[in-house]
Parts: sequence; C-alpha cells; structure tokens
Amino acid sequence: MNAADLARQLRALLPRGRVLTSAPQLAGYASDGLGFKAWLPDAVVIPADAQELAQFMRGAVALNLPVIMRGAGTSLSGGPVAAQGGVVVHTSGLRAIRHLEANGLWCEVECGVSLQELEQALLPHGLFYPPDPSSGPVCTLGGNVASNAGGAHCFRYGVTSNYVLGVEALMLDGSLHRFGGPAGGRGPWREDWKRFMIGSEGTLAAFTRFWLRLLPLPEKIWTFRATFADLRATEAAIHALVAHPSAPAAIELLDPRAVAMVESSQMACGLPQGSFMLLVEIDGPAALVDGRVAEVAQLLRDAGSGDVQFSDEAAIRQRLWKARKAAGGLLGQLSPSYVVQDAVIPKRALAEVLQLVYDEADAAGIATVNIFHAGDGNLHPNFLFDARQPDQLEKVERISKRLMQRVVEVGGTLSGEHGIGNDKAAYMPMVFGIVGTRLQLAVAAAFNPAHQLNPLKVFEQRRFCA
Amino acid sequence: MSPAITHGAERLFDHGLDVVDGTLCLPADAKAAEVRAHIGNHALRFPLWLDGQSSLRDHLNASSHAPASSRFGPYGDNVLGMNWRLPSGELLRLGERVVKTTTGYDWLRFALHSGTRFGRAEDLVLRLRPACDFNGMARLDGSAQALQSCAQSLLHSPWLCWWDSVDWLHASGQCWLRVQWHGRATEAALFEEQLRHLAKIHGCSIALEGLPEAQLDGLPDLVLKTTPERVMALATQMAPHCRRTLAMLHHGLLHLDLGGNEACAMQAHEWAQSLAASLHELGGDWHSRWLPARAPDITESKWIQTLEAALHEA
Repeated sequence: MNAADLARQLRALLPRGRVLTSAPQLAGYASDGLGFKAWLPDAVVIPADAQELAQFMRGAVALNLPVIMRGAGTSLSGGPVAAQGGVVVHTSGLRAIRHLEANGLWCEVECGVSLQELEQALLPHGLFYPPDPSSGPVCTLGGNVASNAGGAHCFRYGVTSNYVLGVEALMLDGSLHRFGGPAGGRGPWREDWKRFMIGSEGTLAAFTRFWLRLLPLPEKIWTFRATFADLRATEAAIHALVAHPSAPAAIELLDPRAVAMVESSQMACGLPQGSFMLLVEIDGPAALVDGRVAEVAQLLRDAGSGDVQFSDEAAIRQRLWKARKAAGGLLGQLSPSYVVQDAVIPKRALAEVLQLVYDEADAAGIATVNIFHAGDGNLHPNFLFDARQPDQLEKVERISKRLMQRVVEVGGTLSGEHGIGNDKAAYMPMVFGIVGTRLQLAVAAAFNPAHQLNPLKVFEQRRFCA
Repeated sequence: MSPAITHGAERLFDHGLDVVDGTLCLPADAKAAEVRAHIGNHALRFPLWLDGQSSLRDHLNASSHAPASSRFGPYGDNVLGMNWRLPSGELLRLGERVVKTTTGYDWLRFALHSGTRFGRAEDLVLRLRPACDFNGMARLDGSAQALQSCAQSLLHSPWLCWWDSVDWLHASGQCWLRVQWHGRATEAALFEEQLRHLAKIHGCSIALEGLPEAQLDGLPDLVLKTTPERVMALATQMAPHCRRTLAMLHHGLLHLDLGGNEACAMQAHEWAQSLAASLHELGGDWHSRWLPARAPDITESKWIQTLEAALHEA
C-alpha cells in the first residue's frame, strides 16, 4: 500500500488531524528511550478517546500493517517502535482518571494518564501508587503496565504487576474485554488472563483502561547516603539491609564510574572519587521509622562506610538523591549513544557480575557506568558509545550478550522492569528452551496469532506476515 | 553479525535455601513444618500460611490470598517460580528465582491457581521475608458501626504496610477486628500504642497479646473476591450461614468456613451461583476447593484451546 492510500484509509477511520503521515511528524515516533535505534513508522494515529481507538482497531486488520501501541515512548528496550513498519497508535488522548475510590484503595484510569498526573490526583487523599520508574514525570500507565515497570522503591513496594487489579483490552477484531476490575479477581473468566496482559509489551491487545491498587502515603521518609571504598563492603551493606527488619523501600547503588561522571559535571555533590554510593530509604509511621534511623546508619558504618549522611527533611533528602537522579540525565549528555541493560541476578552474584561488566567493557574500550536497584539485584549497566561507529555497536552487543549469558548462568533473568522489546529478544533462547518458547508463543497465538500487534518484539519469531 | 543464539535445555529450579536472596525451593507438597526446617536458624520466614497441616499445594488450591497478603501480597507475589509438570509429562520451569522479572509472558501467575488444568506444580520457589522475634495480635470489639469506622482508619493508616493482616471475623454470633503483626519485641509497644489509640478513637475495646506464631484460620471452603469497600458488607451478609467468615480488608477477600469437608460443596455451589454476577461486575470472582472451575464461554474456550494445544504438543 502506498503512503497516499494508507493516509486515505486511516482518515476514513479517524478524523484528519489525528492521522500523521509526513516524515517530520513521523520522526518523533521512530525511537523510544533507546534512541540510537530508529524505525520510521508508516503513519501515526492519535485517537481522541477509547471509542476512536476501538474504531481504529476494528479497521486495523484490513490495513494489513503492523500496529504498535505507544504511550510516552520512554521505554528502554525498543518496545513501542515500528520495527517492521506499520502504524503507531499514540495513546495520549486517553488520559482521564475516571474514578478514585479512596475508601477501597483503588482507582480507574485510562492508559494515557501519566504517572505524575496520577500521583498529583492521589496526593490530596493521602494515597499513592507505588511503582516509580525514573521516567515518572512523563511516562504513561499504559506503558507501565505493558512493560511491568518498576522503579527505585519497588524493593519493598513491588512492581506494576503487584498493583494492577484489572485491565480493559481491545483486541484486533475490535472486541473489548475486561480482565479483572476494581476487585482484582478474574471477573467472569475461568482463568486469570490479566496475568498475561501485564508485561505483554503491546503484543496481545491495546489497553484502554486499568484498575489500580493504592496505598496510604508513608508518614515519614528517611533518606541515607553512604559511600564505600570497595564493592565487597558495598555488597555486605546491601545484604545486611535486605535482611534488616526495617525493610528499606529503596536500596540504590552508583558505582565509582557513575560517581566520577556526576562529580565531573555541574551536578557534583561532593562524593569521594572512586567510591561506591548507596542510597537507602526507609519509610512508614513516624514512631516506627524514627526509632530505626540510628540502627540503619550504624549498619552502613559497620559495613565499612566512613561517610553516612541521612535526613528526613525534604530539601536535604533531595540533595542526597541528587547524584542518583543526575546520573541518569548525564548519560545522554556525555555520550552520543548509550544502551542500558536490565538484568536481575541473585544478590550473592552481584560483585561477580559487576566485575564481568567492567572487564568486558574495559577490554572492548567501551565506557560503562552502573546505576541500579541493588536491593532487587536489578542491574542497569549503561554502555556509552557512538552508534555512528559500526564497530562500537557491535562491541556493545557482544558485551551485552556475554553479560546476559552470565546472568542466566548465575540464576538471573534478562529483564526486571524494562521489558524485552526488540533489544533483548535475541537473548530469549538463553532463558526459554524449545518447550518453554512454545508455551510463550502460544500466549501470543491465542490473542494475536498473526503478530500484527507489535511484531518483532519479545520473541524474534513474532514476525507479521501480511 | 554474531550468530543467532540457540535454545538451551529447559532450566529447572534446584531445591535449596538461598539465605542472601531469601528464597527457598522445595516440593509443592511441603507443609509449614518442612519450610521451617529448611529455613533453620536463619532469620527468615514465609508468612502466607492458612493452615499448619496443609501443604503449599493445598493452600494454592484453596485461595489466592492469606491474611498476611495484606502486607506481602497474594501467593502470586510470593511464589517466584515453579517446576511445572506439563500434561505431556515434561518438566519445565515457570518464573524465576529472583524477586522481579518481566521476561516473557507471566505463565507463573497465570498457572499458579489454575489447579491441574495446564499442568501441575512439582516444586515451588518461595520468597522469604526477614523474621523477627515477636508476633503480636490485637482483637478489637465494639458495635458494628464502631468496628466499621475503625476498619476504615486501619486501612488508611501509614501502619497498614507494617501490619501483617487486618481482618474482620465473624464466628459464633460475634464479630471483631483482628490485627496481626510480626516484628521486634523491642518495638511491640509502638504497635500496641497505635492500636490502642485507634480503638479509643472509634470506641472499641481492645485486647492485645503476643503469640508464638501468627493465628491460622484454616483453609476456606469458599472464597469470594470483591472490593475492599464492599467486603465487610458481604461478610455480614454471609456470616449467619457460615461457621466462620474471615474478611481480609485490604484486598477485599472473604474466606468462608462452611464445615471444612466435601459435604459443603452443594452450599458453596449455591452461594457461588447466587453471588457470581455481582462479583463479576466488579472484576471479582469466587473459588472453592470443593468445586470445579466454571465452564469457559466460546471466546475463552478458543484461547484455552490454543494454550492447551501448545502444552500437549510439548
């Protein structure tokens, strides 16, 4: 189908202003947060509401083109991109918070609501929605559910799947199904299909709305920042924190390379060069957490930190978080391209796998910085390179492959919160054997047998055949 | 371009305790005593018990939640992985041994409470939590209105994430609120003070005690899943017909004790049928270990058949 025919067909499904087909318009949808890879879609549609989205989906099969759902596009795995061409469906029009049931600790939201919008709506009710990926100010709940997003505080609070009570999903045949709902059960179905929907990365259905579980806001938060001279001491602190009854909400780690990056930038905050930095947060009722502060500080000192700072004052806490928050933003400024991996490993293997990252990256001459959720064993090695140099991308892919092999060998997994997208799809055979892969692909076959929805994601075999 | 990665053998979980990560892999037929024996003196615990004499498999067949799910979430958040026997006889693993994963479709949570329809759990990987030296329990009594307003305060308290369970119980014509927590003896006074404070505000009487272990309520005969704001009303409606009802307020789950044997299947069926529509409307459901799952409709049958074809082909 040529571009003019496609535009005409799409405009028959949606009002004119909601169909984008010119190259400059499409360029904004060619990549996700993994910016060095780009695939220009054939078109972008922006339905105004769920009705328009349903209208589009009913006509989508006839287009014979891939359909890719997209929220804010902040995914870090090559998820909401047109890897096989096709039409990107931007869900920014579906952004209503439809119901907030404060008594029942749940809410009903549309897929395009941003995490920040939800947070602001919940605040006056003394409630919060715990998953907090670092793209929180802009990322949408649709993207969060599709990738089962996590964040810094999911060590205690858990990831998106722990909070999704129900998913409303629009299938490619135009049928609309509700899996679960405010009660969080199966609903009228025999099986709990929402379990497949959460984390399915747009490969099974288009999500229109969700029912989410909420929690009362913690009364008090204490933030700790501690630096350590070596990885073994840092690891000892992490292990002690994980086992501690204070159940920290967050245990974040910056390695010396990340510390050096922050300290040589305008965001410098006085961290000792060469140090590992742990950022720890405990929260809860004031009476309880206030009594635990000295104990947590001592735990960090006992593990070998000579520099433990902590506070419950918002301004100081913000300063303690500064290096952690700044590090993510600096990556894009310092390097033409970067890729962030998302492996989860058993925590006993933390030092070993981190050393492998250093060894492999150093041997290949690729810069790496590590900023990650240490409490969960969720590594985020960032590899900084120049994608315009073909040999550099190859080197990064080789390091990533070696890393993932080791991750699987030590009993870990490929992704903890970013999803597989097309960035890690090639590694799936490391995790799933032939039978496991068949079971996995059966899920896609049940809901989207032709792989028209988001092809080439999660499993490489998922290619759309028009 | 490096060559494509080829499939390895199916990975399986090995039995054993990982003290650092707080995970334990053991047979699905293990009971509480065996879990405790494996954990030994390590300061760890698996909190989601309903019955000390029933296996983990029986727990999973009976309900998706236990009282301590109020703090730790349902079984699906606390069983990290399974060695799963397919109908074809092959064994493969579902899930992981790490605490978070978004690698592929979530067969683990899908299959966990599906009985034997898609296979059978051989081994489970449990997520363990730090253990302390004190189990506390509070019983709050008062008028129905006082208990209801107190329940609202409990659910909206910053302490909610620190209490193992917040339950509303009915038995022998009485109803009361029960709050259980697990923590350090040195902090017990803080928990007790907070609960006394709430009881006083709402005009409830309170009895506090330390227990050697959390109170267990037994496996339910019928489980009803609704929303937290409706579960107390549903419990009140069902209570006169049950030996005991347990409403887990945070998750809107109701466990009904109808006698604890197969003879109660008929009654469970009757209530499930009469309540199904109102539960389904809210995305809730019913489940009974004595009854078969409801028959799927045409749409769902198609999806199930696609999955089953892959399972049997395996």
